[in-house]
Amino acid sequence: MTAKLNVLRYILGAAMLGLWRNRTMTLGAVVTTAVMLVTLAAFLAINDTLNEMVTALGRKSNLIAYVRDDARPSRVTAIMQDLEQRPGVGEVVFVTKEDALRVFQERFFDQRDVIDILQANPLPASVELRMDDPAVLPGLADELRGMTEIFESVAVPLDVVERLISISNVSRAAGTAMIIALTAVALFVIANTIRIAVYARRQEIEIMKLVGATDWFVRGPFLIEGAFIGLVGATLAAIALVVLYLQAAPTVTRIISFLPIATDVSFVRNLAVFIVLVGLVVGSIGSYVSVRRYLAV
Amino acid sequence: MQRSLYRSAPLIVVQGVTKRYDGEPALADVSIAVARGEFAFLIGTNGAGKTTLLRILLREEPFDSGVVLVNGVDVSRIRGAALTKFRRRIGVVFQDTRLLPNATVRENVGLPLQVRGRANREIDVAVDEVLERVALADKSERFPRQLSGGEQRKVALARAVISKPDILLCDEPTDSINPMHAREIMGLLLEINSDGVTTLVATHDSEIVNNLRRRVIRMDAGAILADEPVGVFNSG
Repeated sequence: MTAKLNVLRYILGAAMLGLWRNRTMTLGAVVTTAVMLVTLAAFLAINDTLNEMVTALGRKSNLIAYVRDDARPSRVTAIMQDLEQRPGVGEVVFVTKEDALRVFQERFFDQRDVIDILQANPLPASVELRMDDPAVLPGLADELRGMTEIFESVAVPLDVVERLISISNVSRAAGTAMIIALTAVALFVIANTIRIAVYARRQEIEIMKLVGATDWFVRGPFLIEGAFIGLVGATLAAIALVVLYLQAAPTVTRIISFLPIATDVSFVRNLAVFIVLVGLVVGSIGSYVSVRRYLAV
Repeated sequence: MQRSLYRSAPLIVVQGVTKRYDGEPALADVSIAVARGEFAFLIGTNGAGKTTLLRILLREEPFDSGVVLVNGVDVSRIRGAALTKFRRRIGVVFQDTRLLPNATVRENVGLPLQVRGRANREIDVAVDEVLERVALADKSERFPRQLSGGEQRKVALARAVISKPDILLCDEPTDSINPMHAREIMGLLLEINSDGVTTLVATHDSEIVNNLRRRVIRMDAGAILADEPVGVFNSG
């Protein structure tokens, strides 16, 4: 037990000493890690903004189901409650016949003769759906059209919806592909930087093995060094990200007002935490893998 | 090769060992035996196979055929934790010293005890003692690059013996150093051997071989040419 504690103490000390004595290499690895992770984070933020844009456009596409005059109000209420629970549905609003007439009168206020002709209110009540995900619109429309005892007709701007769905799919697929590619590149570059640092010290590993060190004794300091490099690089990246994002986002939003950039702190905080975790994990795994090949002495 | 010297089983047995590098023979049917506590020279020119044989004894290098037993253990079968334990019983002075360039003399010498999980206080005492023995006590905080070639060899020797190994393997311990350091190192090797450490020294330094008058195993082109109880090294 005492021997293990001594080994642990040695590993921690050796890691700190290794970082300091190889400080040029350490600095290079930290900077590379930070740059790669800032790039990754920037792309994640851009991708998030693009997805938000598509979602925001989707919210503007509505479905209007016109309610028959003889439909039972309790049945309409039940359908609305059901629709509210559906995935992709943002808001469900009931527009009464009176509301519809008022809107009509407001829209055609300069055509009093048309309005005066109306003896009774000919406009139907309607259920309006504002969507979070336009992809579910066509299916919902078909479903509501099937309820002929409740709805007279269902209006959907299908051409707009189809275009939105297609933009949304392409954007998400391209975003996911880019994130995977960029993450792979970041992991490769970071792991390779650590591998070069380990390569420069391969003789050290060999010597330790030849004087009777266990694999963990040799690996320990390198693992801690790798984790440290990943952690510090990622923390720098996270700080740069938070500062840049919080500075830039309000300005960009002011200039391009339709861009739905997430300016809330929680988004940037989550991104920063994610980046730090990626740095820590990649640093540790990079070291583990790099050292392993030199342990077979 | 059995010799009347052995009262019990030899500590090192190499039987019919062959080793090739890219098809070229480095060792060809080599057989030797070394008794516990014995001191022997492995002599021969560059490429004779001395270093390869030492590397095989440390299990740093695999071999193609034959048997190598160290203290009765088949070296080719040692793996994992057993290999770590095995190496802890062998001290090595490498031809290129293999000191950690970024570690001080104290850290280099203490490394075999660090890997065993010894306490720092205990390591410091042992390092001071062994550095005193190799006359480098005043250079314990220097880095290898701040030492002469002879001093680096002495640091390597101190690292090899600090853990009190059963066997000491030395590869050209006096190569490229001045005669004074060479004599000092040979004196230290004899002293260490007199403590009961089986010592095998690979060298092509005829002067030290002829002066010490110990067992000489003569190698050439990967084969054993002669094994003499008290040999001389005719460098010509």
